[in-house]
Formats: sequence, C-alpha cells, structure tokens
Amino acid sequence: MSSWYKSWILLTGFILFYVAYLLFGAFVFSTIERPVEDKLKRDIQVLKEEFLNQSCVNATSLEHFLEGVLQANKYGISILPNSSASSNWDLASSLFFANTLVTTVGYGHTTPLSDTGKAFSIFYALLGVPFTMLVLTACVQRLMHLVTYGPISMCRQKIGLEPLAATAIHFAILLLVVVLGFFVVPAVVFSYIEDTWSFLDAIYFCFITLCTIGLGDYVPGEKPGQNFRSLYKISVMVYLFVGLMMMYLVLRAFHRMADLHGLTSFFQLPHCDEDIEEDKEPIIEAGHEDQHEAEDSAKPLDPASQTSYNTINR
Amino acid sequence: MRCPTLLALLAGVMLYLVMGALVFRYWESPMESKEHEKLLCTTRDFLGNHSCVTAQNLSDLIKSVVKAVEAGLDVKHSSTNFTSRWDLASAFFFCGTIITTIGFGNLSPRTKWGQLFCVCYALVGIPMFGFLLAGVGDHMGTGLRKAVWKMETLFLKRRVSPTYVRIMSAVLSILIGCLIFLAVPTLVFKEVEDWSFLEALYFVVITLTTVGFGDYVAGANRRDGDLFKPLVWLWIVFGLAYFASILTMIGNWLRVLSKKTRAEMEELRAHATDWTQNIQNMSMDFRIPNPLDLNDPFLLQRRRWKRSTRRRVRRGALGHHGRQGVIGENGHLPNRWVSHTRSMTRLEVRNEGTRLGPGADSRVSARSEGRSLGRTLARSLSMPAARSVMELDYVRDPVAMMMLQGESAFESKSLSESPESDSRSEVSSSDSHTSDMCTPGQGITFASFDASGSLCTGERGSQGGSRQVFFQEDIRFPVPLQQLPKSHNPTKPIPMSPIFSVKPMPLPMPLPMPLPMPLPMPTPPGCKMLDFFGENLAYIDESSDTLSDRNQPVEGAVSPRPRKPRRRSIRRQLPHRSTLKERDSDMQPPSNPPTPPPLSHLRD
Repeated sequence: MSSWYKSWILLTGFILFYVAYLLFGAFVFSTIERPVEDKLKRDIQVLKEEFLNQSCVNATSLEHFLEGVLQANKYGISILPNSSASSNWDLASSLFFANTLVTTVGYGHTTPLSDTGKAFSIFYALLGVPFTMLVLTACVQRLMHLVTYGPISMCRQKIGLEPLAATAIHFAILLLVVVLGFFVVPAVVFSYIEDTWSFLDAIYFCFITLCTIGLGDYVPGEKPGQNFRSLYKISVMVYLFVGLMMMYLVLRAFHRMADLHGLTSFFQLPHCDEDIEEDKEPIIEAGHEDQHEAEDSAKPLDPASQTSYNTINR
Repeated sequence: MRCPTLLALLAGVMLYLVMGALVFRYWESPMESKEHEKLLCTTRDFLGNHSCVTAQNLSDLIKSVVKAVEAGLDVKHSSTNFTSRWDLASAFFFCGTIITTIGFGNLSPRTKWGQLFCVCYALVGIPMFGFLLAGVGDHMGTGLRKAVWKMETLFLKRRVSPTYVRIMSAVLSILIGCLIFLAVPTLVFKEVEDWSFLEALYFVVITLTTVGFGDYVAGANRRDGDLFKPLVWLWIVFGLAYFASILTMIGNWLRVLSKKTRAEMEELRAHATDWTQNIQNMSMDFRIPNPLDLNDPFLLQRRRWKRSTRRRVRRGALGHHGRQGVIGENGHLPNRWVSHTRSMTRLEVRNEGTRLGPGADSRVSARSEGRSLGRTLARSLSMPAARSVMELDYVRDPVAMMMLQGESAFESKSLSESPESDSRSEVSSSDSHTSDMCTPGQGITFASFDASGSLCTGERGSQGGSRQVFFQEDIRFPVPLQQLPKSHNPTKPIPMSPIFSVKPMPLPMPLPMPLPMPLPMPTPPGCKMLDFFGENLAYIDESSDTLSDRNQPVEGAVSPRPRKPRRRSIRRQLPHRSTLKERDSDMQPPSNPPTPPPLSHLRD
C-alpha cells in the first residue's frame, strides 16, 4: 500500500511542479514580450492614422478592407504585388502540408480552407499520426542497435569500461552529434537560404520544428520568388523526418541510460521498453545482457511495478 | 522488427503522404484561387473608390498590418485601449501549447530573448510533460484496464470467445474515450466559440493529435472568463493521456499477438519434430528386442522363427514360401515385399477409393492402400484367420476399429511422409501384421499358429467365400460378437497360441455374410488385424515400459481386460496421430513418447 501511496504522491508532486513550471514560463514570457507588443501596436495605430489622414478613405472602409486582406493572409494568400503566382497548394506544398499534419508539427501557415478539406484532414490525421509514429518507432528501434548497443558493447569489450560509464559517455557523444548535425548545421543552411532569418531565428525554427511544436511563425520556403521551391520544400520534409527520428533516438537513449542509472526507478517513472530483446542481434547480445543485468540490479529499487507504462498490456 | 517490414512501412508512409498531398491539392487549390480572386477584387474596388490612395501606400500599409498580425496582434478591433495578448492566462496557455508540442502559433515570441527562452523552456518542459503524460496515462490505463477487465469477465461468463471479447473491449474503450474527449468538447467549443460542428471537430482532432495548426484556437478571442483557458488545457492533457494509453494498449496487444503467433508457430514446429522423433523412436523400439523377455514362449518362438527365416533368406529360399521370409530380421516385411505390395495396392487404391466414397480422400486412399496392402498380402499368403481376432477387437469399439482400419493404412500413408526408414519400417510392420497372421502357416514352427495356419489353408481353399467374408469385414466393422467363436475374444494377445488354438473353426462360417456390396477385393483386413495384433504383441513385449505408459490414459475407459486396452491403445495412437495431424487445432504439447489424447477424441 505504501508503494501505491508513494506513486500517487509522486504523481501529484509531479503535476504540481509542472503547473509551477508553466506559471513560471507564463510569467517570463509575459514580461519579455509585452513591451514589444505594446510598441508594435502603437506603431500600427500610427500607421493607420497616417494613412487615413492623407487619403479619402474612411475608417470603416479601411477596416473592412483590412479584414478581407487579413482573412486571405490567414490562409497564406498575399495581396502584395510581388507575391509569386505559385499556389500554396501545388504538389510540393501539399506534400509539405501533409507531412506537417502527419508528423504533428502543424505549422499552420497553410490550413485547409474548404470544409471538405477540414473533414479530410481529420481522418487523414487520425490515421496518419499513429502510422507515422509506428514507422518512426520501428526505424528508431533498428537504429538503436546500430547507434547505441553496438558502440556501447564495442566500448565495453575493447576499452573495458563499465556499462554505466559507457552509456553515459555514449549518450553525451550522441547528444553532441545530434545537436551539431541537426541543429547547428541546418540552422546555418536555413539562415543562408532565407534572407530574413538570422542564425538565431534558424536555430529557433529548427528546434520548434524538431520538437514538433511547429508554431508556424517561421516557415521555410515561403519567400516569394523562391528558387527551386519544390525541391526546397521536399528537402525540408526529409530533414523533418530524419530529425524526428534522431530526436526519438536521443530520447530513447536517454531513457535507457536513466534506467541503467536507476533514475527512472527512483522517480518511479516508466521503465524503458524491454521488448527490444526480440530484435536483438547476436553480436551485441553480450552487451545487451550486461545492460539487463545492470537494470535488474537497479530494479530492486522499484517497489511498484505498475508505474511502468508498459505494464498496461495484458 | 524485420528489415523488409520496416521498408514496407516506410514505403507505406511515403505513399500515404503523396496520396494526402494529391487530395489536399485537389480540394484546396480551387478554393485558394477563389480567395485570391476575391482579394484582388476587393483591392481594386478599394483603390477605385478611394482614389487618393496609391497602390504603393496601400501595399505598405498592408505589409505592416500583416506583420503586426503575424506578431499576434489583433488589428480587427481598432480600439485604442490596449489589451495585451500576453496576459498571464494567455501566456500560460501558450506555455502549455509549447510543452505539449501542439504549438498553435497564434501567439509566438517575437523578441530574440523570447525565442531563446522559448527554446530552453521547451528543452526542459517537453520531456517533463512526457513523463507526466506517461504517469497520468499509466493511472488512467490501470483504471481503464480494470474497467475493461470487468467488462471482459462479464462477457466471458456468457461464453463468448476471448479474442472476440478482447476486440470488443478495445472498441468499447476507444468509443468511450472518443465520447468523453472528442464529442463533448466538440459540442462545448461549438457553443462557446461559435464555430460550426465541423470546425469544432477539426479543432479538437488537430489539437489532440498535437498538430496544432492554430487557425482555430479555443479561447483565443475571449478576454474575459479566464477559467476557460486552463480548462481547455486540462482537457488537452487528459485527452492526450487517454489516447496515448489507448495507443499503448493496442500496441501491446499487437505485440502479444505477434509473440503468440510466433510462439504457436514454434510450437507447431516443435510438435512436428517431436512427432517425427517419436515415430522414429517407436520404430526403433520395434527393432530393439527386450532382453528381459527371454522367458516368453511366444517371443522365443518368434526369434527362432526369425533366425530360421533369416537363414532361409540367405539361402535365397524366398518364393512361394515367401511368407516365411516375409518377416524380416526385425519382424517386418522386407522391402521387397513392401514394394511388391505397394505396386499392387496402387491398383486397388483407386477401387477402394471409389468404393468407399466420402471421407477424406487421403484417408480413404491411405486406408485403402493399407488395407489393400494387407489384402494383397493376405491373398498371396492366403491369410485370413486373424479376421476373427480382428472381429473380436473390432467388436469392442467400432469406432476404434474403423479408425484402426483407416489408421493402419493412414499410418502407412503418413509414414510415407516421414523419413524413408520409418515409412518402410511402418509399412512393413503393417505388412507384417498381415503376414504375421498367416505366416504361421506352412512350415513354421509356431505351434500356436497352427490353428491359424489351418485357417489359412482353409481359407485359401475357399477364396470366393473368404472374399465375401473379408469384404464384410472391411465394410462392416462392428461384427457382432456373438457370431464369433467365444472364449478369449478380445484379450490376450500373448500368447497367441491360446487364442488361436481356442478358435475352433475356421472363421468364415460364422460371419454373417450378407454384404450387399459387391466386393472386388478379397483381402482380409482381418489378416492384417492379426498381423497387427502380432506386431502388437512384439511391440508390447519388447518395449513394454513405453507401452504401459502409453496405455495409461486410454485404459480405464475401454475394457476391463488388461490386454485389450493395450492393444487398443496402440491402435488408438494411430488414429490419434492422424486425427491430430488432420486437425491442427488444440494440440497438446508432445511428450515423449506421445501420450494418446483422451478417449474423447474418438468419441467426438
């Protein structure tokens, strides 16, 4: 019973801490962004007044006009003269949209306008999201052998490190490689291709995209007159997919490492998936077994097995 | 997951994306051009109506307005009093969307510091939310599992099949979740935000799958009612947790299913190998004489006979007295005979098949093959007498008899599938069954077989009669016991002598003739029976241990006499083997030696 209580208490503590975290973030954002917003608002007001003053347009007609413009802009249609004739829904862009829908990034720079489009997106997402997750998980599982178990066992065999140390080092290296390869380098590329983006904007974009948050304030390839727009969008898609895989990989490696070090048991968090054993390849069996031994040694810390998310099976 | 599966999955996802792209393009492009047209019209009208505005001015204005809107400003309401969009509630909501990776985007940080902070904030917050989701999902999953379990027990009481119950419970749980987390919020949003039903549903789905376009955001336009946004956020969390737990449950079931099918396949394979192993063992048992049974007269006789036949074989004296050489060294027919009989049986198989009509073709053919084997042998060896024995046995258990008939034949057939040596030995054993009966015919030192020998000779004389008789035996298995010479009917396979000696008269007489069917085949399955019987004896004696093990399960039900059940068990093994092979369902884990399935199989 005490373990059950403990798990509930931990969960409540977790939730409270989480709420506190959110409040803290809200406070910080508010403090940072509010002044800027004020300034922008004031500027716009000034602009409108200037426009109205110098012309014969009255306020209501201007408002009416602006509403129409903004409505169109919401759907990605720009009224500006030098906006390219390229549609937002040509094949490459539609593919990009489908990809953002299915990977749950969801920029929102182009959204379905028609009712049928909306209904279709509902079903498409309901099917496509689990499908994508399945594929990503499958890829990650195989990649784990390549990237994680192999090097770790090699490390242990050749250098003779302990499993704990080996996994920690390996995770650090993996993190470094992923950050370099999937954040820094693409950010450089994006900041180069997109004129209006700074390096920080590009890193911000990479991060927001790869975490599948996808705010949509920065979307690559939306510049009017973009060269090789289709190719660009498709390569961004590929980047998104591969980057997501790497993020999952890092997350999984972290989870295993935490398991190994007993962190998950300590916090009574869900354990890492044990079903990887099915796909074990013989060469890394030794390392894998040792990892399991270490995990087993860490297991006695865990009194309540039901916190493991994977025990929800039958 | 295997590589081909993975590649197939990847290809599937790619195809899915392309399909979606095409469909979206089809639906959205026309709408887009329409909107564009409308906008151009509006601009033209505006410029026309208000001639003092130049196009340049207008485009400048529009640019700034659009930038402001992208910054999150709401320029539609040009009220001078300023209500920031970054009030605490909205900021809280924004943080929530960041953490859950929904990311609507209707509000986003514009400043450099804001963006930087956003990155760090998300780095910490997303894993934390992941753990929270896992924990909440776990508890919800436990509750869900309990409810589902209760439901399942309810259904299982009504004897619904487990898989069906499982599927139903899955569907039900999904439906309930959909109701609580999809349908109710849709209606709420429809009312509160004044959206259409489709728009509300669209928002709910896009949010719960964490796509989060941001074209529709609940609570975006409300300045009052600050309780609404946190409530929306709570709904998001629980909805996400619920669907994550559902997905995990389904994933686990799929995994268990794949493991089970894999396990079942493994079991099947293990069964198959075990059976072949056991068959081989049994055939080995046939060959290995048990040195402990030296005192058994029958065996002694047999061994002496074997030696004599071997000597005769070596001298090449096989021929008309083939039956002497019929039994090979290990008590089986030599291959020569096997091939001979086989070739003969081929002719008869077809006839048998047509005659016997329905039933598994293989079984029929096998049975006919086996029987014709026996028949041909019997014919050549002028067999017959064992018929009585067969009758005796048959009487006991018609089904068994029938099975046996089919079985011994089936056995030969099935053995043809198994390794060559086995088939040969088994076939030869079945042949030897037939031969055994009659071998104690001429020139055989078996005193015990004298009666049968005489029977044989007697039979030989009356081929026609025997024909009919035997045919009857073929078809009508349950030969009424009372017609048979009494005494020891069933029992005592060992020693054979008493039985045969007891049999007073040649069998053909008492057998009720009346077989309506025209019988092309004269062979006596009875002979085969006897042979089998003989072989049984040998089997029993030589490997009595295993046999007694085998007998245990079957014994009690059938008959009080000790021997009979043993025989029956042997016979029953054959049918069971075949029936088991025929029906792949509910296999029992093989033991070594294979325990015959309970009698219920026969009684089915």
